[in-house]
Amino acid sequence: MLKRLIITLMAMCFVFATIGIGFAGEDGNARKGKYTYRNVYKSCNKRGEVDSPRPPLGPDSKTQAQWKRTFDKKEFDQFKCGEEWSKLSEKDLNDIYTYLHEHAADSPSPAKCK
Amino acid sequence: MRLKSKHKRYALSCLWICLLFFTSAPSFANQEQDAPGLELARQVVKEAKNTTTADHSRFKALNQDFTSGPEITKACLSCHTEAADQLKKTLHWTWLDPNSPKDNQRGKAGYSINNFCISANAMNDHHCNECHIGWNEKGKETEIDCLKCHGQKKINWEEVFQDYKILTESKDPEENVLAKDAQAEIHEAAQSIGRPTRKNCGSCHFSGGGGDGVKHGDLDPSLINPNRKLNVHMGYDGQDFECSRCHTTVAHHVAGRIYGTPASETRHSLLEHDLEPKIMCESCHSDKPHELSSKMNDHTDKVACQACHVPVIAKVLPVQRWWDWSRAGKKKDGKPYDVNGPFGKPVYQSTKGDTKWEKNVIPNYLWFNGSIKGFTAKDMIDPSKVVKLAWPEGNRNEKNARIFPFNIHSGKQPYDTVNKTMTTPLLSGEHGYWTTFDWQDSIQRGAKYLNLPFSGKIDFVETAYVFPSTHMVAPREEALKCNQCHTRPDSRLADLAGFYMPGRDKVKLIDIAGWAIVLSSFVGIVLHALGRIFANGRKKEE
Repeated sequence: MLKRLIITLMAMCFVFATIGIGFAGEDGNARKGKYTYRNVYKSCNKRGEVDSPRPPLGPDSKTQAQWKRTFDKKEFDQFKCGEEWSKLSEKDLNDIYTYLHEHAADSPSPAKCK
Repeated sequence: MRLKSKHKRYALSCLWICLLFFTSAPSFANQEQDAPGLELARQVVKEAKNTTTADHSRFKALNQDFTSGPEITKACLSCHTEAADQLKKTLHWTWLDPNSPKDNQRGKAGYSINNFCISANAMNDHHCNECHIGWNEKGKETEIDCLKCHGQKKINWEEVFQDYKILTESKDPEENVLAKDAQAEIHEAAQSIGRPTRKNCGSCHFSGGGGDGVKHGDLDPSLINPNRKLNVHMGYDGQDFECSRCHTTVAHHVAGRIYGTPASETRHSLLEHDLEPKIMCESCHSDKPHELSSKMNDHTDKVACQACHVPVIAKVLPVQRWWDWSRAGKKKDGKPYDVNGPFGKPVYQSTKGDTKWEKNVIPNYLWFNGSIKGFTAKDMIDPSKVVKLAWPEGNRNEKNARIFPFNIHSGKQPYDTVNKTMTTPLLSGEHGYWTTFDWQDSIQRGAKYLNLPFSGKIDFVETAYVFPSTHMVAPREEALKCNQCHTRPDSRLADLAGFYMPGRDKVKLIDIAGWAIVLSSFVGIVLHALGRIFANGRKKEE
């Protein structure tokens, strides 16, 4: 009886954890993320740090796992424009992550950054 | 005395050699000046490149908020009042050959069959319509998309209009703010207007047939930013021509061949008629493009300029040479799959069958009077032979026919074994072959769109399709040399029969006669020289 209870509890934990992780990564607003991401480079370009107002990396520059690792570790140095990235809220970052993750190279709908 | 006369003869000979050398050297040095065609071509490209007199971002009509593509077109037409009427009469809009019979009209919107995606099913195969210059995939049931040819900034219009709508209608104020960013993107693209660039034209013509370099061999994305080695006219380090520099455009009618109608039947140069389109080589280079003394000028009535000046095609990117639809439809674990081969190009796709790709292709040479005979779904075929779906017309007796280089694409396609006609399968969409993998159903649907009979019985027949090789014009140092044609057994023109070509052909009698003339001339010269020497010597002694 106890064994069955433990197994049931473990299974429930596993299911909730999996669903939770899934939702945690995808609850941002991809559309907002797309324009917020582009605005980072428009501002940065105006400030003169980068030559182009277009983001250097499109969603299809990385796989979903690579985007997850990048945002989990907040490795934004590779994106340049540190000043703009540092001003983004957690919600903004999650929106950007959702956009990039949804259209990553190995996603069902990979996209370049127009 | 005898010694002295010998010295005199040597001195005279040296003088003659020097004289010959110094008189011929300047003519070699001035070869370019002597070529009237080259001078004319230089005159043609003298004018300044930038002739724009308007900044479209300052037009009121283009500064309003746009929620759809046709609204942008309306704004364009508020100034360019005649543009839509002009354009809707052109092949780029109608996709129909105006010079073909009404009951068997050629063109993608008609009954034409090609070697690639076979048929556009009278514009009902929406995948093909991506290249039509309208705002959506519904063919002519929409407004013209002026920006397909004139837009200098490419964006995903469908996506940005959808974003703008959702962001504007959202109850989240942050999203409403971002709607302005979406509209700013629309504005930026709608106001970036110019004459069609290589990129504009290339978005369809470089990638027709379902991918980069599928169709032509001399037209692919490598021409978006070519160097002069790839194309001496379009190279950024050469003349940097846009397509419209030769495809002269009047009232939106772009000069060029339209199926069976040649690009030009007159072959006039601009010296003869200054309002001629610049579509032929002769338009700018005249029919004497080489220095006046050059033997090459004697070829221009029978050999097209391209035959020597487009020696190789697919120089940077590979071109597809074979497409076998009979092999399509195989699956792995119940799913369609692709196999990539050399050049990173697919050699098998479940959706399309087998394909073969090649680079640095040597063209095939055929007689061409400027017309290409196209095949339609109504024409009867002889399945025991290769069906030539597009083949050049002309022979060596025609005044306007020249030897011309072609890329010949081959393949296999389904045909109706009872009606003896090519079939027109629907490929894209929910019921297309690419989704259902059902030939019977997709052919039935395609035939219905064209109101054609289908017996239900099919087999596959080998087909061939030509494209004239005219765009990858090499610098002159890479043009064909005489001995690449006037040779045996590897002459580039080895397959062209019916005429005698020195070097390539051998007629024993002519050869014997020729050598006899050479030999007798030589003997004559020697005898004459000896006669002069001896006679001269005797005179002196007397």
